[in-house]
Order: sequence, then structure tokens, then C-alpha cells
Amino acid sequence: MAHIKEVKDMSKVKSMTKQREFRTLVFLVLLFVIVGLVNADFISSGNILNATKNSLLYIVLAVGMTFVLLTGEIDISIGAVLGLSASVSGVILRDGGSIFLAVIIAIMIGGVIGLINGLGVTKLKISSFIMTLGMLEIVRVTQVMFTNGKWVENLPENFKHISRMNMFGINVLTIIVILAVILIHFYLSNSRKGRYFAAIGDNEDGAVLIGIPVNRYKVIAFVISGVLASIAGLIFASQIGFISTTAGLGIEMTVIAAAVLGGVSLRGGIGSVIGAAIGAIIMSSINSALVFLKVPAFWNSAISGSLLIIIVVADALIARRANNRTRKERLNARILNYKEEV
Amino acid sequence: MLKKIPKWNVVLLTTLLAEIIIFGLINPRFWNINILLNSFNDFVGIAIIAFFVTFVIITGGIDISGGSIIGLTSVVTGLLAQVYGLNIWVAALLAVLVGGLCGLLNGILIAYSKVQAMVITLGGMLLYSGIALVLVGFSGASTYEGISGFSQEFINLANGNLLGIPHSVIVFVVMLLIAYVLLHWTRYGRYIYLTGINQNSAEYSGINTRKIITSTYVLSGLSAGIAGIILTSYLGSSRADFGAEYLMPILTAVVLGGTLITGGKGGVVGTALASIIIGFLKLGLQMGGVQTQYIGLATGMLLIISVAFMGGQKFKLNVRRLLNLKKDRGGNLNA
Repeated sequence: MAHIKEVKDMSKVKSMTKQREFRTLVFLVLLFVIVGLVNADFISSGNILNATKNSLLYIVLAVGMTFVLLTGEIDISIGAVLGLSASVSGVILRDGGSIFLAVIIAIMIGGVIGLINGLGVTKLKISSFIMTLGMLEIVRVTQVMFTNGKWVENLPENFKHISRMNMFGINVLTIIVILAVILIHFYLSNSRKGRYFAAIGDNEDGAVLIGIPVNRYKVIAFVISGVLASIAGLIFASQIGFISTTAGLGIEMTVIAAAVLGGVSLRGGIGSVIGAAIGAIIMSSINSALVFLKVPAFWNSAISGSLLIIIVVADALIARRANNRTRKERLNARILNYKEEV
Repeated sequence: MLKKIPKWNVVLLTTLLAEIIIFGLINPRFWNINILLNSFNDFVGIAIIAFFVTFVIITGGIDISGGSIIGLTSVVTGLLAQVYGLNIWVAALLAVLVGGLCGLLNGILIAYSKVQAMVITLGGMLLYSGIALVLVGFSGASTYEGISGFSQEFINLANGNLLGIPHSVIVFVVMLLIAYVLLHWTRYGRYIYLTGINQNSAEYSGINTRKIITSTYVLSGLSAGIAGIILTSYLGSSRADFGAEYLMPILTAVVLGGTLITGGKGGVVGTALASIIIGFLKLGLQMGGVQTQYIGLATGMLLIISVAFMGGQKFKLNVRRLLNLKKDRGGNLNA
């Protein structure tokens, strides 16, 4: 009997997480429809594709962040990793190096920084917020030292062309990123090892007891986040065409906000990459939506901040109410069962 | 008597003295007491926010919105005084209250909706700096130049001195005393610690933990407001992006000061020492000829290393384990 109830509860939790993503998606659609009502150009297919293209960077970062958040940790250093790997690979490309080399170097940079973060958090037991905050500062200075505080410009045309390639009228990078997000979602939700990440965040001691190598998976999560941050750096370099010293400054906060909007919990264990990706599209669409609404750009940060607070608080209140209701139902059921037995 | 002083504070004090000696040897001008006292101007804002963020972190929360509250209060002061022609001191007082309101919003949302403090204050950070930008946008002032033209009296608030001691040092000491008395001498302070150690048991022993948590955010908001006023006075203009880069130094000061990021343990004296250490480190490196943009390297390393050390005696064990990584498959319960 208890067993069946557990299964029922599991399916309830499952449907709730689905609802969360669903709510985010509804919100995204609403955003587009409402802005579209004011200015029809906003929902033209061209603009929607454009909005997705502009949010690629955020999507990639948010997916990496989701891995770390799922294990119950946090990674603040991604903005700096983006900047450093973009400028290193930018310099390689500018000086005539091959694209392949630049990509490999960038990924290695992200991987090594992620590894350091992961080892610091798991082995030295430094709180991940502090560890990655310190790393953010260190990596940012490294970037300034590497570039001597100058912008990296004159990237070769063939590299910039990558972000502009189209297939069936849709940007190739967009297709790749969307497919990758879907694949990663199935990895995290359906494969045995993919579920480890959420299991660790949900109950770390429990994960240890059932034999999950917790520390290894935490390190892996940080490495993935670092690597994805450097891939985002490559996308940034390819899309923008130059790298300033402040590239990616403060982007980590936007990405965390995006992940949280998409239903990823900072406590760990809850969330999906699809939700995070939708959150990322919302965060980056607010910008262009304001342009289409002819609202001055200085409203941007106030609106995204209040949206974040309202959505998260509303979500928490809804979830708590649902929790209370299920607890009451369970209690009632227990009492009824008891009466029947008597 | 000596036993009563926490060990970590002794370490911090030694570090501070060592820092003064070493930087003095590199550049003897560092030993000039006036230069040292005047350098308080550069970090007094960070320090006074850090005092009260210590409260927040002791209760087990975190407040990353302090930096943007500085920008908001700075803009509010500038607008009220220069555009609407209010008396500058009334304007400053109102601005500090605005900071307190921001903290109140953070605190109520965190304590009553039980959303993670990090998320709410992140939203708050975006929101408050956003409101500051909106206010500047409406007033028609240039975002880049900000609002200037404050009266000399107000400029004197941060730049003047009393009996040769710069006002910023006095503000530092006064705020430290307030924070110290609140945290270590009153019942309220004990409640803050209890809430951080175990919120449930604090709740069961009759403490209204929600009120306690909310109040710490209010204090942190008020202190950010005061820091905003001081910074506005020091720089003589109000801009929305003041304090934008304060997040990292504030948290460094609190954590380096020996406050556990998980809550329940810490103190303001450590925070004060740590913020002086960081401030002097910056000054010393600048005097030693290091460019300003490289100083983040030092503070970042300081942050990570100090937290790693504070893991206590386990640190050596951890380093040893790091060295033979392969043997450890992870997941030791007693780790």
C-alpha cells in the first residue's frame, strides 16, 4: 500500500515539474503574443528566429548552469570563462590559426577552469558560491593580462561566417543548439547516469548511500559548465565579431535568473535544461520586446528584475499550496484507512 | 581575557600588521598615517555594508543586492536635492529610508515565501539598479555624467575631517560600534545567531525567526543606503552605476572575516578587520606599482585561500586528499 502511494507521489512530483516548464513556456508565448498585439512585426517568423539566434549564447550558458544547479551547487565564474576563452581563441584566429585549434583551446580553457572549480568545491570543501566568485575575479584579471586590456578585433571572415550560415532558412547554430538541448534533456531525465545529477542535488547523503560517486559527478558538472561557457564564448566571438575586455560582464546573474525562471531550483534536484533554455529565451527577448514596444531601454533591468521576483515568489506560493494539499490528502487517507482497519 | 578573542581574529590582526610592515618596506610612504587614514574613503562603503551583510549571512541567508541599493540611493539623493530642490539632508535621510525599504522587500519575500535568499536578492539587484536607471532616464540627466553640483557641506560629509581624523574613519568606527553592540551585546543579536544555527529550534523556543530574518535584510538595506550617501558625497555626484562592482569585495570581507557562509557563526570585528585588510591590500599594491585592474587577482586568491584555510584542521587533510586524487572515489560520508 505504502509502495503504491510512493509511486503516486513520484508521478505527482513528475507532473509538477512538467507544469513548471509548461508555465514558463506559456509565459514565453504570452510575452510574444502580447508584444505582437502591440507591434505585429514582433511575431513575424523572421523576428522569432532572430530572437532565438540572439538567445543562443544564454541558452548554452543556462544549460551548463543547470548541470551545476541540479547538483545543488552554483557557478558564478561563467561570465569570465566566456570572456577569457573568447579572447584567447580570438587572438589565435586573428593571428591566422585554424578554427579547429581555436575551438580546442577554448574548450580546454573552460574545462580546466571548471575542473579547478569542481576540485575546490569537492576536495577543499569551499562553498561553491565563494569558490566560483573568487575564480570569476581571477579569470577576469587573466583575460585583462592576456589581452593587455585591449579589444580583440579583426576576426577572420570565415569564422564570423559560421554564425550566419543558414540551412532551410534557419540558422545552423540555432538548429545545433536546439537539438543538443533536447538530447541533453533526455540524457538528464532518462539515462541512469544523467539522473545522478538531480539525485545528488535532491539528497546528497542519500546519493552517497546508494553508491553514486557524488564528488566525481559534481566535478563533472563544473567541467561541463566551464566547457559550455567557453563554447558560448566562441558563439559570442563569431556573432559579435570582436571581443571587448568586458565581454560577458555580469552575464552570470542573467543566466542564473534565466535558469530560475525556467524552474531550476537553486537548492538542487529540480529543473530541466529545456526549462532553463526557455528561461534564457525569455530573458534575452525582454530586451528586444522593449524595443518593439518603443519603451526606452533603461527599463530593461527593472522589468527583468521584477519579473524574476514575481514569477519565483508566485511559483513558490503555488508549490507550497500544492504541497499542503497533498499532505492533507495523505493525512486524511491515513485516517480513513485506520478507521477501516478498526 | 586573551582567550575570549576568537582565533581567526588574531590571524586577521597578524595579517593586517604583516601587510602594513611589508608594504611599508616596499614603499615607505605607506607608513604615513594620513595616507592610511585617508584610504578609508575607498572602502568605507564596502565595510559598512559588509557589517550588516554579516548579520544576514549569520542567519543563513545572503544579500547580493547591496551594491545596487548604493546606486539607487545615490540617484534618489541627487534627484531629490538637485532636481526637486529638497534640503540635502532631508534628501539623504529619505534616500537611506529607500535603502531600508529595498531591504524590507527583500526580507519579507525571503522570510515569508521561503524562496532562496540568493534568488530574491538577485532579482532585487536587477530591480533596484533598474529603478535607478529608470529614475535617471526620467530626470533627463546624462547617465554617464550623473547629477552633480552638491553643496560644499554635503561634500564635506565624506571628505572633511574632525581633529585630523577623516570623517570616513569616524563613520567606519560608529557603524562598527552599532553593529557590534547589536550583534554581541543584545538579545536581538543572540536571536540572530540562534536563527542561523537552527531555524526550527529557534522557532520552537519562541523566537519569531521570520521577523529576525526580515530585520537583518532591512539593516543591510539601510547600511547600503548610508554607504550610497557617503559615496555620493565622496565623489560629489550621483550615478546609477555606483556600487555596481561592490558585490565581490563585500562578500570577500564578510567571508574573510570568519563568518561561515552557511550561517550560525561569525562576527563583525572579523568583518571590520578583513575589510581593512582588503582596503590596505589595494592601496599597497597600487603604491607598489601594480595596475588597478590586476588587483582582482589578489582579492580573488585571498577569498579562495582564506575559505580553504577556514575549513579548519581539515584543510591539511583535504590538501593531502587532493594530492592523491585517484585513491578517493568520492562520496565519503565522513568527508
